[in-house]
Amino acid sequence: MFESGRKSVEGALLSAHGQGSVRRKPWRKYGVIYKSVLLENLQYAANVALGFFAYFVFIYIYIRLWGYMYRSPEELIAGYTKEQMIWYVMMTEMLYFGSNAGVVAGEVAKDIRGGNIAYLMNKPYHYTLYILARYTGEWSVRMPMYAVFAVLIGAVLVGPLPHFQWITVPVMALCAVLGITINAVFKLCISLFSFWIEDTTPFQWIYNKLILVVGILFPVEIFPKALQPLLKMTPIYTVCYGPAKLIVDFSLEKCVEILMAQAVYLAAGCALMFFIYGKGVRKLYVNGG
Amino acid sequence: MLTVVKNQLRVCFLSIQYNIMREMVNKVTFLTNVVFMVLNDASILVQWFILFRLRDDVGGYSLREVLMLWGLVAASFGLSNILFARALSLPNLIINGKLDAYLVQPKNVLLGVLTSETRISAIGDLLYGVILVCVCRPGVGGFCLFLLFTITGALAFTAFALLLGSLSFWFVRMDILQNQMLMGMINFGTYPDGIFQGAARILLYVLLPVGMALWLPSHVMARFDGKMLMAVLGYVFLLSAAAVAVFYRGLKRYASGNLMEARL
Repeated sequence: MFESGRKSVEGALLSAHGQGSVRRKPWRKYGVIYKSVLLENLQYAANVALGFFAYFVFIYIYIRLWGYMYRSPEELIAGYTKEQMIWYVMMTEMLYFGSNAGVVAGEVAKDIRGGNIAYLMNKPYHYTLYILARYTGEWSVRMPMYAVFAVLIGAVLVGPLPHFQWITVPVMALCAVLGITINAVFKLCISLFSFWIEDTTPFQWIYNKLILVVGILFPVEIFPKALQPLLKMTPIYTVCYGPAKLIVDFSLEKCVEILMAQAVYLAAGCALMFFIYGKGVRKLYVNGG
Repeated sequence: MLTVVKNQLRVCFLSIQYNIMREMVNKVTFLTNVVFMVLNDASILVQWFILFRLRDDVGGYSLREVLMLWGLVAASFGLSNILFARALSLPNLIINGKLDAYLVQPKNVLLGVLTSETRISAIGDLLYGVILVCVCRPGVGGFCLFLLFTITGALAFTAFALLLGSLSFWFVRMDILQNQMLMGMINFGTYPDGIFQGAARILLYVLLPVGMALWLPSHVMARFDGKMLMAVLGYVFLLSAAAVAVFYRGLKRYASGNLMEARL
Protein backbone atom coordinates (compact mmCIF):
# COMPACT_ATOMS: atom_id res chain seq x y z
CA MET A 1 0.00 0.00 0.00
CA PHE A 2 2.85 2.32 0.91
CA GLU A 3 4.74 1.80 -2.35
CA SER A 4 1.63 1.98 -4.53
CA GLY A 5 0.69 5.19 -2.69
CA ARG A 6 4.06 6.66 -3.52
CA LYS A 7 3.73 5.70 -7.19
CA SER A 8 0.33 7.36 -7.45
CA VAL A 9 1.75 10.53 -5.85
CA GLU A 10 4.64 10.54 -8.27
CA GLY A 11 2.30 9.94 -11.23
CA ALA A 12 0.17 12.91 -10.25
CA LEU A 13 3.27 15.00 -9.68
CA LEU A 14 4.78 14.14 -13.05
CA SER A 15 1.58 15.02 -14.82
CA ALA A 16 1.44 18.38 -13.00
CA HIS A 17 5.13 18.92 -13.79
CA GLY A 18 4.51 18.23 -17.46
CA GLN A 19 2.03 21.08 -17.63
CA GLY A 20 4.69 23.51 -16.49
CA SER A 21 2.48 24.84 -13.70
CA VAL A 22 4.62 23.42 -10.92
CA ARG A 23 7.62 25.47 -12.01
CA ARG A 24 5.63 28.70 -11.93
CA LYS A 25 4.04 27.95 -8.53
CA PRO A 26 6.52 25.87 -6.51
CA TRP A 27 4.04 25.26 -3.66
CA ARG A 28 1.50 23.70 -6.01
CA LYS A 29 3.42 20.42 -6.24
CA TYR A 30 2.92 19.90 -2.51
CA GLY A 31 -0.78 20.55 -3.03
CA VAL A 32 -0.77 17.81 -5.68
CA ILE A 33 0.94 15.40 -3.27
CA TYR A 34 -1.54 16.30 -0.52
CA LYS A 35 -4.55 15.79 -2.78
CA SER A 36 -3.27 12.49 -4.08
CA VAL A 37 -2.66 11.07 -0.57
CA LEU A 38 -5.97 12.43 0.65
CA LEU A 39 -7.87 10.64 -2.14
CA GLU A 40 -5.92 7.45 -1.49
CA ASN A 41 -6.69 7.56 2.24
CA LEU A 42 -10.37 8.20 1.63
CA GLN A 43 -10.48 4.71 0.11
CA TYR A 44 -9.44 3.24 3.46
CA ALA A 45 -11.49 5.52 5.73
CA ALA A 46 -13.31 2.54 7.26
CA ASN A 47 -9.99 1.23 8.64
CA VAL A 48 -9.67 4.41 10.74
CA ALA A 49 -12.82 3.45 12.64
CA LEU A 50 -11.04 0.30 13.88
CA GLY A 51 -8.85 2.56 16.01
CA PHE A 52 -11.83 4.04 17.86
CA PHE A 53 -11.75 1.23 20.44
CA ALA A 54 -8.31 2.29 21.75
CA TYR A 55 -9.44 5.92 21.90
CA PHE A 56 -12.60 4.93 23.74
CA VAL A 57 -10.59 2.90 26.30
CA PHE A 58 -8.41 5.94 27.08
CA ILE A 59 -11.37 8.25 27.40
CA TYR A 60 -13.35 5.80 29.52
CA ILE A 61 -10.39 5.43 31.93
CA TYR A 62 -10.08 9.20 32.26
CA ILE A 63 -13.79 9.69 32.78
CA ARG A 64 -13.65 7.19 35.65
CA LEU A 65 -10.40 8.61 37.01
CA TRP A 66 -11.56 12.24 37.08
CA GLY A 67 -14.93 11.06 38.36
CA TYR A 68 -13.04 9.69 41.36
CA MET A 69 -10.70 12.66 41.79
CA TYR A 70 -13.46 15.30 41.91
CA ARG A 71 -15.19 15.04 45.30
CA SER A 72 -18.19 17.14 44.25
CA PRO A 73 -19.57 18.38 40.90
CA GLU A 74 -18.82 22.02 41.83
CA GLU A 75 -15.19 21.41 42.76
CA LEU A 76 -12.47 23.08 40.69
CA ILE A 77 -9.05 21.52 40.13
CA ALA A 78 -6.46 23.94 38.71
CA GLY A 79 -9.38 26.15 37.64
CA TYR A 80 -11.13 23.40 35.66
CA THR A 81 -14.51 21.84 36.39
CA LYS A 82 -14.82 18.06 36.04
CA GLU A 83 -16.50 18.41 32.63
CA GLN A 84 -13.80 20.79 31.39
CA MET A 85 -11.03 18.48 32.62
CA ILE A 86 -12.51 15.44 30.85
CA TRP A 87 -13.17 17.44 27.68
CA TYR A 88 -9.57 18.69 27.80
CA VAL A 89 -8.26 15.09 27.84
CA MET A 90 -10.75 14.11 25.14
CA MET A 91 -9.53 16.90 22.87
CA THR A 92 -5.81 16.26 23.43
CA GLU A 93 -6.32 12.51 22.92
CA MET A 94 -8.32 13.29 19.79
CA LEU A 95 -5.38 15.30 18.42
CA TYR A 96 -2.99 12.48 19.39
CA PHE A 97 -5.01 9.61 17.91
CA GLY A 98 -6.35 11.57 14.96
CA SER A 99 -2.96 12.84 13.81
CA ASN A 100 -1.05 9.59 14.33
CA ALA A 101 2.30 11.33 13.97
CA GLY A 102 4.06 7.98 14.36
CA VAL A 103 3.65 7.64 10.60
CA VAL A 104 5.99 10.60 10.00
CA ALA A 105 8.62 9.20 12.33
CA GLY A 106 8.37 5.67 10.95
CA GLU A 107 8.46 6.64 7.27
CA VAL A 108 11.42 8.99 7.52
CA ALA A 109 13.54 6.63 9.63
CA LYS A 110 12.71 3.76 7.25
CA ASP A 111 13.61 5.83 4.17
CA ILE A 112 16.97 6.85 5.63
CA ARG A 113 17.91 3.45 7.06
CA GLY A 114 16.74 1.57 3.97
CA GLY A 115 18.52 3.90 1.52
CA ASN A 116 15.29 4.97 -0.20
CA ILE A 117 16.23 8.55 0.66
CA ALA A 118 18.83 8.49 -2.16
CA TYR A 119 16.00 8.01 -4.62
CA LEU A 120 13.60 10.48 -3.03
CA MET A 121 16.05 13.37 -2.54
CA ASN A 122 16.57 13.66 -6.31
CA LYS A 123 12.89 14.27 -7.00
CA PRO A 124 11.63 17.76 -7.89
CA TYR A 125 10.53 18.48 -4.32
CA HIS A 126 12.12 19.00 -0.93
CA TYR A 127 12.03 15.66 0.88
CA THR A 128 10.87 17.04 4.25
CA LEU A 129 8.05 19.08 2.69
CA TYR A 130 7.06 16.03 0.65
CA ILE A 131 6.72 14.02 3.89
CA LEU A 132 4.74 16.81 5.56
CA ALA A 133 2.39 17.07 2.56
CA ARG A 134 1.85 13.28 2.62
CA TYR A 135 1.27 13.33 6.37
CA THR A 136 -1.23 16.19 6.09
CA GLY A 137 -3.13 14.18 3.49
CA GLU A 138 -3.28 11.25 5.91
CA TRP A 139 -4.52 13.09 8.97
CA SER A 140 -7.01 15.11 6.93
CA VAL A 141 -9.05 11.90 6.73
CA ARG A 142 -8.41 10.60 10.25
CA MET A 143 -8.86 13.78 12.25
CA PRO A 144 -12.42 14.71 11.21
CA MET A 145 -13.52 11.12 11.93
CA TYR A 146 -11.96 11.22 15.41
CA ALA A 147 -13.43 14.68 16.00
CA VAL A 148 -16.95 13.43 15.28
CA PHE A 149 -16.43 10.35 17.46
CA ALA A 150 -14.98 12.45 20.30
CA VAL A 151 -17.91 14.88 20.23
CA LEU A 152 -20.38 11.98 20.18
CA ILE A 153 -18.94 10.10 23.15
CA GLY A 154 -18.33 13.37 24.98
CA ALA A 155 -21.95 14.41 24.54
CA VAL A 156 -23.20 10.99 25.69
CA LEU A 157 -20.81 10.21 28.56
CA VAL A 158 -19.80 13.65 29.86
CA GLY A 159 -22.48 16.08 28.73
CA PRO A 160 -22.16 19.36 26.81
CA LEU A 161 -19.11 21.53 27.30
CA PRO A 162 -20.05 24.56 29.42
CA HIS A 163 -19.74 28.00 27.74
CA PHE A 164 -18.78 26.53 24.36
CA GLN A 165 -19.20 29.00 21.48
CA TRP A 166 -19.59 27.56 17.99
CA ILE A 167 -18.41 30.84 16.44
CA THR A 168 -14.89 30.15 17.71
CA VAL A 169 -14.60 26.79 15.91
CA PRO A 170 -12.62 28.11 12.87
CA VAL A 171 -9.94 29.64 15.15
CA MET A 172 -9.77 26.44 17.19
CA ALA A 173 -9.43 24.41 13.97
CA LEU A 174 -6.56 26.66 12.82
CA CYS A 175 -4.88 26.26 16.19
CA ALA A 176 -5.29 22.47 16.02
CA VAL A 177 -3.85 22.31 12.48
CA LEU A 178 -0.83 24.37 13.55
CA GLY A 179 -0.35 22.17 16.63
CA ILE A 180 -0.41 18.97 14.56
CA THR A 181 2.04 20.45 12.04
CA ILE A 182 4.45 21.63 14.76
CA ASN A 183 4.35 18.17 16.33
CA ALA A 184 5.06 16.55 12.95
CA VAL A 185 7.99 18.92 12.30
CA PHE A 186 9.61 18.08 15.65
CA LYS A 187 9.06 14.35 15.18
CA LEU A 188 10.56 14.67 11.71
CA CYS A 189 13.59 16.45 13.16
CA ILE A 190 14.15 13.53 15.56
CA SER A 191 13.78 11.00 12.73
CA LEU A 192 16.29 12.91 10.61
CA PHE A 193 18.93 11.98 13.18
CA SER A 194 18.78 8.55 11.49
CA PHE A 195 21.46 10.03 9.18
CA TRP A 196 23.85 9.70 12.13
CA ILE A 197 22.43 7.01 14.42
CA GLU A 198 20.86 3.71 13.44
CA ASP A 199 17.70 3.78 15.51
CA THR A 200 15.95 6.97 16.60
CA THR A 201 12.90 5.17 18.01
CA PRO A 202 14.01 5.51 21.67
CA PHE A 203 14.21 9.30 21.24
CA GLN A 204 10.71 9.28 19.78
CA TRP A 205 9.49 7.38 22.88
CA ILE A 206 10.82 10.06 25.19
CA TYR A 207 9.38 12.91 23.11
CA ASN A 208 6.00 11.13 22.91
CA LYS A 209 5.93 10.44 26.63
CA LEU A 210 6.76 14.06 27.45
CA ILE A 211 3.93 15.22 25.22
CA LEU A 212 1.62 12.62 26.77
CA VAL A 213 2.38 13.24 30.43
CA VAL A 214 2.88 16.98 30.39
CA GLY A 215 0.46 18.03 27.65
CA ILE A 216 -2.14 15.39 26.94
CA LEU A 217 -3.14 14.03 30.33
CA PHE A 218 -3.05 17.30 32.27
CA PRO A 219 -3.39 20.99 31.47
CA VAL A 220 -0.33 23.11 32.29
CA GLU A 221 -2.17 24.79 35.22
CA ILE A 222 -2.15 21.55 37.23
CA PHE A 223 1.65 21.55 37.55
CA PRO A 224 3.44 23.43 40.35
CA LYS A 225 3.45 27.20 39.72
CA ALA A 226 7.24 27.31 39.49
CA LEU A 227 7.21 24.84 36.57
CA GLN A 228 4.46 26.48 34.54
CA PRO A 229 6.56 29.23 32.84
CA LEU A 230 9.07 26.55 31.83
CA LEU A 231 6.36 24.27 30.40
CA LYS A 232 4.92 27.19 28.43
CA MET A 233 8.26 27.52 26.65
CA THR A 234 8.24 23.90 25.42
CA PRO A 235 6.56 22.63 22.23
CA ILE A 236 3.96 20.96 24.47
CA TYR A 237 2.31 24.34 25.00
CA THR A 238 1.71 24.78 21.28
CA VAL A 239 1.14 21.13 20.28
CA CYS A 240 -1.64 19.99 22.59
CA TYR A 241 -2.27 22.38 25.48
CA GLY A 242 -3.01 25.38 23.24
CA PRO A 243 -5.64 23.84 20.95
CA ALA A 244 -7.35 21.91 23.79
CA LYS A 245 -7.37 24.92 26.12
CA LEU A 246 -9.09 27.04 23.49
CA ILE A 247 -11.75 24.37 23.00
CA VAL A 248 -12.59 23.97 26.70
CA ASP A 249 -12.09 27.58 27.83
CA PHE A 250 -11.88 30.05 24.94
CA SER A 251 -10.63 33.58 25.42
CA LEU A 252 -9.43 36.00 22.75
CA GLU A 253 -6.36 36.96 24.76
CA LYS A 254 -5.32 33.31 25.18
CA CYS A 255 -6.04 32.64 21.50
CA VAL A 256 -3.70 35.41 20.31
CA GLU A 257 -1.00 34.26 22.75
CA ILE A 258 -1.21 30.63 21.58
CA LEU A 259 -1.30 31.52 17.86
CA MET A 260 1.78 33.72 18.26
CA ALA A 261 3.62 31.00 20.14
CA GLN A 262 2.66 28.52 17.41
CA ALA A 263 3.95 30.84 14.66
CA VAL A 264 7.30 31.15 16.45
CA TYR A 265 7.54 27.41 17.07
CA LEU A 266 6.60 26.51 13.50
CA ALA A 267 9.22 28.88 12.07
CA ALA A 268 11.91 27.66 14.48
CA GLY A 269 10.96 24.00 13.95
CA CYS A 270 11.07 24.32 10.14
CA ALA A 271 14.44 26.10 10.28
CA LEU A 272 15.80 23.31 12.47
CA MET A 273 14.33 20.66 10.15
CA PHE A 274 15.93 22.18 7.02
CA PHE A 275 19.23 22.58 8.87
CA ILE A 276 19.35 18.94 10.08
CA TYR A 277 18.27 17.64 6.67
CA GLY A 278 20.91 19.77 4.90
CA LYS A 279 23.63 18.46 7.21
CA GLY A 280 22.34 14.90 6.95
CA VAL A 281 22.24 14.57 3.17
CA ARG A 282 25.82 15.80 2.97
CA LYS A 283 26.77 12.87 5.17
CA LEU A 284 24.84 10.33 3.13
CA TYR A 285 26.70 7.43 1.55
CA VAL A 286 24.95 5.44 -1.14
CA ASN A 287 26.10 1.84 -1.43
CA GLY A 288 24.65 0.91 -4.79
CA GLY A 289 22.04 -1.84 -5.09
CA MET B 1 9.92 -37.87 28.97
CA LEU B 2 12.08 -35.75 31.22
CA THR B 3 14.85 -35.69 28.58
CA VAL B 4 12.35 -34.54 25.94
CA VAL B 5 11.18 -31.67 28.16
CA LYS B 6 14.79 -30.81 29.02
CA ASN B 7 15.77 -30.74 25.33
CA GLN B 8 12.76 -28.65 24.42
CA LEU B 9 13.53 -26.10 27.13
CA ARG B 10 17.15 -26.00 25.98
CA VAL B 11 16.06 -25.25 22.40
CA CYS B 12 13.74 -22.48 23.65
CA PHE B 13 16.50 -21.00 25.78
CA LEU B 14 18.96 -21.08 22.85
CA SER B 15 16.41 -19.47 20.56
CA ILE B 16 15.90 -16.56 22.99
CA GLN B 17 19.65 -16.32 23.58
CA TYR B 18 20.32 -16.02 19.82
CA ASN B 19 17.52 -13.46 19.45
CA ILE B 20 19.24 -11.28 22.04
CA MET B 21 22.73 -11.88 20.65
CA ARG B 22 21.52 -10.83 17.19
CA GLU B 23 20.29 -7.54 18.62
CA MET B 24 23.52 -7.04 20.57
CA VAL B 25 25.56 -6.82 17.35
CA ASN B 26 25.00 -3.07 17.51
CA LYS B 27 25.72 -2.40 21.18
CA VAL B 28 24.83 1.31 21.10
CA THR B 29 21.36 0.62 19.67
CA PHE B 30 20.86 -2.23 22.12
CA LEU B 31 21.76 -0.13 25.16
CA THR B 32 19.82 2.90 23.91
CA ASN B 33 16.71 0.75 23.52
CA VAL B 34 16.98 -0.65 27.04
CA VAL B 35 17.94 2.56 28.86
CA PHE B 36 15.45 4.77 27.04
CA MET B 37 12.64 2.29 27.69
CA VAL B 38 13.40 2.52 31.42
CA LEU B 39 13.27 6.35 31.15
CA ASN B 40 10.15 6.17 29.01
CA ASP B 41 8.35 4.04 31.61
CA ALA B 42 9.65 6.17 34.48
CA SER B 43 8.30 9.39 32.93
CA ILE B 44 4.72 8.25 33.63
CA LEU B 45 5.48 8.57 37.36
CA VAL B 46 4.88 12.31 36.89
CA GLN B 47 1.21 11.51 36.33
CA TRP B 48 0.93 9.70 39.65
CA PHE B 49 2.81 12.37 41.60
CA ILE B 50 0.37 14.94 40.21
CA LEU B 51 -2.68 12.84 41.07
CA PHE B 52 -1.47 12.09 44.59
CA ARG B 53 -0.90 15.82 45.16
CA LEU B 54 -4.64 16.20 44.66
CA ARG B 55 -5.84 13.30 46.81
CA ASP B 56 -4.37 10.89 49.35
CA ASP B 57 -5.61 7.84 47.46
CA VAL B 58 -6.62 7.00 43.91
CA GLY B 59 -9.26 4.29 43.62
CA GLY B 60 -8.42 3.13 47.15
CA TYR B 61 -4.71 2.68 46.29
CA SER B 62 -1.88 4.49 48.06
CA LEU B 63 1.07 5.76 45.99
CA ARG B 64 3.11 2.73 47.07
CA GLU B 65 0.39 0.33 45.90
CA VAL B 66 0.10 2.13 42.54
CA LEU B 67 3.87 1.88 42.08
CA MET B 68 3.74 -1.85 42.92
CA LEU B 69 0.94 -2.31 40.37
CA TRP B 70 2.94 -0.42 37.75
CA GLY B 71 6.01 -2.51 38.54
CA LEU B 72 4.04 -5.71 38.13
CA VAL B 73 2.47 -4.64 34.81
CA ALA B 74 5.80 -3.44 33.38
CA ALA B 75 7.68 -6.57 34.49
CA SER B 76 4.96 -8.95 33.22
CA PHE B 77 4.74 -7.20 29.86
CA GLY B 78 8.54 -7.10 29.66
CA LEU B 79 9.03 -10.78 30.47
CA SER B 80 6.34 -11.80 27.98
CA ASN B 81 8.01 -9.75 25.24
CA ILE B 82 11.47 -11.08 26.02
CA LEU B 83 10.45 -14.74 25.96
CA PHE B 84 7.40 -14.91 23.69
CA ALA B 85 7.29 -11.71 21.61
CA ARG B 86 6.16 -13.61 18.51
CA ALA B 87 2.73 -14.09 20.08
CA LEU B 88 2.09 -10.45 19.19
CA SER B 89 2.87 -10.93 15.50
CA LEU B 90 1.23 -14.35 15.17
CA PRO B 91 -1.60 -13.05 12.88
CA ASN B 92 1.05 -11.83 10.45
CA LEU B 93 2.68 -15.30 10.35
CA ILE B 94 -0.65 -17.04 9.78
CA ILE B 95 -2.02 -14.64 7.16
CA ASN B 96 1.22 -14.57 5.15
CA GLY B 97 1.77 -18.35 5.32
CA LYS B 98 5.01 -17.98 7.26
CA LEU B 99 4.31 -20.81 9.71
CA ASP B 100 5.75 -23.41 7.31
CA ALA B 101 9.29 -22.82 8.54
CA TYR B 102 8.23 -23.84 12.07
CA LEU B 103 6.12 -26.83 11.06
CA VAL B 104 9.07 -28.72 9.59
CA GLN B 105 11.20 -28.40 12.71
CA PRO B 106 11.51 -31.51 14.90
CA LYS B 107 10.47 -29.65 18.06
CA ASN B 108 7.24 -28.28 19.50
CA VAL B 109 5.66 -25.93 16.94
CA LEU B 110 4.03 -23.53 19.39
CA LEU B 111 7.12 -23.02 21.55
CA GLY B 112 9.23 -22.69 18.40
CA VAL B 113 6.96 -19.93 17.12
CA LEU B 114 6.61 -18.07 20.41
CA THR B 115 10.33 -17.97 21.22
CA SER B 116 11.41 -16.94 17.71
CA GLU B 117 11.39 -13.22 18.50
CA THR B 118 12.56 -11.02 21.37
CA ARG B 119 11.78 -7.33 21.79
CA ILE B 120 14.89 -5.74 23.18
CA SER B 121 13.08 -2.73 24.61
CA ALA B 122 11.16 -5.23 26.80
CA ILE B 123 14.35 -5.75 28.80
CA GLY B 124 13.94 -2.11 29.82
CA ASP B 125 10.33 -2.78 30.87
CA LEU B 126 11.39 -5.76 32.99
CA LEU B 127 14.24 -3.81 34.57
CA TYR B 128 11.96 -0.87 35.31
CA GLY B 129 9.40 -3.15 36.96
CA VAL B 130 12.01 -4.75 39.19
CA ILE B 131 13.58 -1.39 40.13
CA LEU B 132 10.19 0.12 40.93
CA VAL B 133 9.19 -2.77 43.18
CA CYS B 134 12.59 -2.71 44.92
CA VAL B 135 12.10 1.02 45.60
CA CYS B 136 8.78 0.14 47.32
CA ARG B 137 10.69 -2.30 49.61
CA PRO B 138 8.13 -5.11 49.71
CA GLY B 139 10.31 -7.41 51.90
CA VAL B 140 11.59 -10.86 50.93
CA GLY B 141 8.15 -12.51 50.92
CA GLY B 142 6.63 -9.64 48.94
CA PHE B 143 9.45 -9.74 46.39
CA CYS B 144 9.03 -13.51 45.95
CA LEU B 145 5.31 -12.94 45.34
CA PHE B 146 6.20 -10.21 42.84
CA LEU B 147 8.47 -12.63 40.94
CA LEU B 148 5.75 -15.30 40.93
CA PHE B 149 3.11 -12.84 39.70
CA THR B 150 5.48 -11.48 37.06
CA ILE B 151 5.66 -15.00 35.64
CA THR B 152 1.88 -15.55 35.86
CA GLY B 153 1.26 -12.06 34.40
CA ALA B 154 3.65 -12.77 31.50
CA LEU B 155 1.93 -16.13 30.87
CA ALA B 156 -1.52 -14.50 30.97
CA PHE B 157 -0.42 -11.74 28.59
CA THR B 158 1.15 -14.27 26.19
CA ALA B 159 -1.86 -16.61 26.42
CA PHE B 160 -4.28 -13.76 25.70
CA ALA B 161 -2.16 -12.63 22.73
CA LEU B 162 -1.95 -16.23 21.49
CA LEU B 163 -5.69 -16.76 21.88
CA LEU B 164 -6.57 -13.63 19.90
CA GLY B 165 -3.77 -14.18 17.38
CA SER B 166 -4.91 -17.77 16.74
CA LEU B 167 -8.31 -16.46 15.65
CA SER B 168 -6.48 -15.45 12.44
CA PHE B 169 -6.81 -19.11 11.39
CA TRP B 170 -10.54 -18.40 10.97
CA PHE B 171 -10.96 -14.64 10.56
CA VAL B 172 -9.16 -11.75 8.84
CA ARG B 173 -7.95 -8.48 10.47
CA MET B 174 -7.41 -10.25 13.80
CA ASP B 175 -4.11 -8.37 14.10
CA ILE B 176 -6.03 -5.14 14.71
CA LEU B 177 -8.34 -6.75 17.28
CA GLN B 178 -5.35 -8.39 19.00
CA ASN B 179 -3.43 -5.13 19.15
CA GLN B 180 -6.36 -3.15 20.49
CA MET B 181 -7.31 -5.72 23.13
CA LEU B 182 -3.72 -6.04 24.37
CA MET B 183 -3.31 -2.29 24.54
CA GLY B 184 -6.63 -2.15 26.37
CA MET B 185 -5.35 -4.75 28.83
CA ILE B 186 -2.21 -2.69 29.56
CA ASN B 187 -4.08 0.61 29.76
CA PHE B 188 -6.72 -0.68 32.16
CA GLY B 189 -4.14 -2.66 34.11
CA THR B 190 -2.05 0.38 34.97
CA TYR B 191 -4.91 2.11 36.80
CA PRO B 192 -6.34 1.04 40.19
CA ASP B 193 -9.40 -1.18 39.93
CA GLY B 194 -11.18 0.97 42.52
CA ILE B 195 -12.02 3.61 39.90
CA PHE B 196 -14.05 1.11 37.86
CA GLN B 197 -17.45 0.09 39.17
CA GLY B 198 -20.44 -1.97 38.09
CA ALA B 199 -20.55 -3.81 34.77
CA ALA B 200 -17.22 -2.38 33.62
CA ARG B 201 -15.47 -3.89 36.63
CA ILE B 202 -17.06 -7.29 36.02
CA LEU B 203 -16.04 -7.17 32.34
CA LEU B 204 -12.46 -6.33 33.31
CA TYR B 205 -12.36 -9.36 35.57
CA VAL B 206 -14.06 -11.69 33.08
CA LEU B 207 -13.59 -10.56 29.47
CA LEU B 208 -10.10 -9.04 29.65
CA PRO B 209 -7.53 -10.80 31.85
CA VAL B 210 -6.80 -7.51 33.63
CA GLY B 211 -8.45 -8.25 36.94
CA MET B 212 -7.30 -11.82 37.43
CA ALA B 213 -3.78 -11.41 36.04
CA LEU B 214 -2.85 -7.94 37.33
CA TRP B 215 -5.23 -6.44 39.90
CA LEU B 216 -5.80 -9.55 42.01
CA PRO B 217 -2.04 -10.25 42.27
CA SER B 218 -1.47 -6.65 43.36
CA HIS B 219 -4.06 -7.17 46.13
CA VAL B 220 -2.27 -10.37 47.21
CA MET B 221 1.06 -8.50 47.31
CA ALA B 222 -0.53 -5.80 49.48
CA ARG B 223 -2.34 -8.28 51.78
CA PHE B 224 -1.56 -11.97 51.40
CA ASP B 225 -4.54 -14.24 50.77
CA GLY B 226 -4.00 -17.94 49.92
CA LYS B 227 -7.37 -18.32 48.17
CA MET B 228 -6.70 -15.36 45.90
CA LEU B 229 -3.27 -16.75 45.10
CA MET B 230 -4.78 -20.09 44.07
CA ALA B 231 -7.45 -18.28 42.04
CA VAL B 232 -4.74 -16.41 40.08
CA LEU B 233 -2.74 -19.60 39.45
CA GLY B 234 -5.87 -21.51 38.38
CA TYR B 235 -6.99 -18.69 36.08
CA VAL B 236 -3.61 -18.43 34.35
CA PHE B 237 -3.48 -22.21 33.90
CA LEU B 238 -6.97 -22.30 32.33
CA LEU B 239 -6.29 -19.29 30.09
CA SER B 240 -3.01 -20.82 28.89
CA ALA B 241 -4.66 -24.20 28.25
CA ALA B 242 -7.47 -22.52 26.28
CA ALA B 243 -4.96 -20.51 24.20
CA VAL B 244 -2.90 -23.63 23.37
CA ALA B 245 -6.06 -25.61 22.47
CA VAL B 246 -7.29 -22.83 20.13
CA PHE B 247 -3.87 -22.55 18.47
CA TYR B 248 -3.65 -26.29 17.70
CA ARG B 249 -7.28 -26.41 16.61
CA GLY B 250 -6.58 -23.55 14.23
CA LEU B 251 -3.33 -25.09 13.03
CA LYS B 252 -5.35 -27.97 11.54
CA ARG B 253 -7.00 -25.41 9.26
CA TYR B 254 -3.70 -23.80 8.28
CA ALA B 255 -3.13 -23.81 4.53
CA SER B 256 0.53 -23.63 3.71
CA GLY B 257 1.78 -20.72 1.63
CA ASN B 258 4.21 -21.02 -1.29
CA LEU B 259 6.69 -18.78 0.49
CA MET B 260 10.27 -20.06 0.56
CA GLU B 261 11.76 -19.21 3.93
CA ALA B 262 14.52 -20.62 6.08
CA ARG B 263 15.11 -20.14 9.80
CA LEU B 264 18.79 -20.02 10.64
